[in-house]
Amino acid sequence: MKTKQVTAMALLTALALVLSRLERMIPLELVIPLPGVKLGLANTVTLFALYRLNLPAAMMILAARCLIGALFSGNMTALAFSLTGGGFAMLVMWAARKCRHLSVWGVSVLGAAGHNVGQILIAAMLMHSPYVMGYLPYLLLIGTVCGCATAAVAAGVLRSVRAV
Amino acid sequence: MTEKERLRFRKGDGVAIGAVILAAATLLIFFLLDARQTEGPLVLRIYVDGALIREMPLDQDDTFRIDGAYRNQVQVQDGKAAITESTCPGEDCVHSGWISQPGRSVVCLPNRVEIRVEGRPGGEEVDAVIR
Repeated sequence: MKTKQVTAMALLTALALVLSRLERMIPLELVIPLPGVKLGLANTVTLFALYRLNLPAAMMILAARCLIGALFSGNMTALAFSLTGGGFAMLVMWAARKCRHLSVWGVSVLGAAGHNVGQILIAAMLMHSPYVMGYLPYLLLIGTVCGCATAAVAAGVLRSVRAV
Repeated sequence: MTEKERLRFRKGDGVAIGAVILAAATLLIFFLLDARQTEGPLVLRIYVDGALIREMPLDQDDTFRIDGAYRNQVQVQDGKAAITESTCPGEDCVHSGWISQPGRSVVCLPNRVEIRVEGRPGGEEVDAVIR
C-alpha cells in the first residue's frame, strides 16, 4: 500500500469522525422522533472512498471510523449499530455502483436503504423482538430523502476532486 | 478513471428511488393492517430483552420504573403511554413521545426496552358489569 493511500485513508477517517460528530449537533430526532434517524453525512466518506479509492480501503476507513467513534462516545451498543448499518450500506453501494443505469444518486439512496435494513436487523436481534421492524418503512422513507442529500454532497465533491 | 463517471441523475436512479418508496409503502400497509386486528381494551406491554415483564391497562393512569443498564420511567396517562424519563444516552425513547394506537411502540435500544400498545385478547373477558 502506498504512503499516499494510507494518508488519504487517515484523512478520510478523520473527516468521517468529524462529520458524524457534527451531525449529532443537528437535532433531527426532535423533528422526526424515531430512534436512529440521522442525515448520514459520514456515508459520503464511504461513497467517496468507493469511487476514488477501492473497496478494501473503504472497509478499513469504515471500521476505523466506527471503532474510534465508539471510543469517543463510550457507547458499545452504538458500535454494533454503526458497523452493521455502515457495512450493509457499503456493500449495497459497492454493488449498486456496478450497475450501468445508476448514478451516484441511486447508489447513495440504495446505500441509505441498506443502512436502514442493517440497523433494523441488528435492533431486532438485540431486542429479541421482530416488532422493531415496524420502524423500517418510516426509516426507509426518511432514508431516501437523506440519501438524496448525501448524493448531492458526494456528487459535488466527486466533481471537484478528480483523483486522490 | 477510464470510464466516464455517472454523477448526474439518471432514469435508473428514479427507478431505484421508486422501488425503495414502494417497498416502504408495502411494509407500512402490511404493519398497519396487522395492527388493526386487535380487539378489546388496550394494554401497554413492557418488554425487556424481548421478555414481557409487565402489562399496564391503557385506561388506568399509572407509572412504572424499569431498572436495567439505564433507568426508564414509563407513564400511562389519559389512554396513552410514553417513556417520560430516561438515563440512557441520547434519550431517543423520551423524544419518541406518546403512543396510543395498537401496534405502536417506543423503544429504548441502550436499555433493550420496548413498550408496545396491544389489544388484550378479549375471549374470556367480561364486557361490562351491571350492578
